[in-house]
Amino acid sequence: MANDDIRALSEELAADPTSLAFIPLGEALRRRGDLEVAMRVAMRGAERHPMRPDAHDLVARVSADRGELDRAISEWETVLQLAPSHGGARKGLGFVCFQLGRLEDAAAHLGAALAIDPDDGSLAAALQTVRHALDRQADADRATVAVRRVAATGESESAHPPRGAQYTEALATRPTIALPSDLQDPEADAGALFDDLLEGQRSAAMLLDADGLVLAGRYVAVDGRDLAADIGAQLSGVSDEASRAMRHLGLGAWRQIVFETEAASVAMAPLQEGVVLVAAARPIPLGFVRRVLERAVHRAIAWLEGSR
Amino acid sequence: MTSPFAHVTESLIRHRGVLGAMVVGLDDGLIVDSTLQIGVNGNAFAALTASLYRKARRSAKAAGFGATTFLELAAEQGRVCTAGGRELVLVVVCESRVNVGLLRVELLRAAEQLP
Repeated sequence: MANDDIRALSEELAADPTSLAFIPLGEALRRRGDLEVAMRVAMRGAERHPMRPDAHDLVARVSADRGELDRAISEWETVLQLAPSHGGARKGLGFVCFQLGRLEDAAAHLGAALAIDPDDGSLAAALQTVRHALDRQADADRATVAVRRVAATGESESAHPPRGAQYTEALATRPTIALPSDLQDPEADAGALFDDLLEGQRSAAMLLDADGLVLAGRYVAVDGRDLAADIGAQLSGVSDEASRAMRHLGLGAWRQIVFETEAASVAMAPLQEGVVLVAAARPIPLGFVRRVLERAVHRAIAWLEGSR
Repeated sequence: MTSPFAHVTESLIRHRGVLGAMVVGLDDGLIVDSTLQIGVNGNAFAALTASLYRKARRSAKAAGFGATTFLELAAEQGRVCTAGGRELVLVVVCESRVNVGLLRVELLRAAEQLP
């Protein structure tokens, strides 16, 4: 949404504070990355319209982008109380529960969302990955039981070091999103979907859905934190702007956006309703970044199809 | 009267596959100077590309990537490349077959002359 549109919505809201313009305005601000302002707009709107599901949905979306997951859950639960078949709330809860490691809740919400919108490919992919994660968790749980049985029968761990080591490793393994076994190493997780394409370079690749939420890939900072959600949320708005521009330029659909900054080269391509994004530290040649993007798109297509 | 940017746009449009070159106000998306082939809707490209560049610049800054210096939008039937300073940006509309590497170098060099 252009600045003029945001300005017009702001003026409309200022002229009539009871207007529902706060919903597109808050969403536009969220997509633009103005999360503080978006939250203020959303909160005021939800206070004025407490019975509107979309008002609480907006608060939840902004909260999720700000990393306030508890508040996001609370708001989406309110949405479901008001509108039990609200697919966006189910989807949001699914992603947030997954981030919190609540895999069964995530699967339930994503399943419900998919039932509401069976054509949403990103939902099918997400549900599949959560189910894989649940399977892995079940395997780890079975390993725990086996270890306890061994301990209960008085067998020393040193008598079975390979199995003991294996179980310890299984227990230490945090539930992760497994990839389709026919596509990738089954031990890898969705976060590692593009790792082998990057060849150890200072770069990252992500698959984002239409809402800028990370479906696969990661962006690991120097301190080890995964910033994929933050980076994805900030940059996904560029593709929205490109789509809007293409409607007026007569060049057909956009295929690739590349931009260089002081610190990084970023390339993105559309995929279904989402986007594949590659970011690399500036010394890495732009041509390499574009090649990685093309390969990441093929990988993401195969992954999404394999998840269905 | 010739604008101080005429030589920039005239130089850029000499590249094979370039359909138009413009100097555009970043904030308002209005054309300051341009050299366009017939049929190219300069106003639309200027406004929408400046808007996209602003969006990329804001997003990249928010993501901690620093200032944006160059942007290329590739579409089914052509490309748009942009490079710029704080107030003005260069916008080049071109066919898909254009040599993007060469054009990028020229754009970045020309953009150094912009305020």
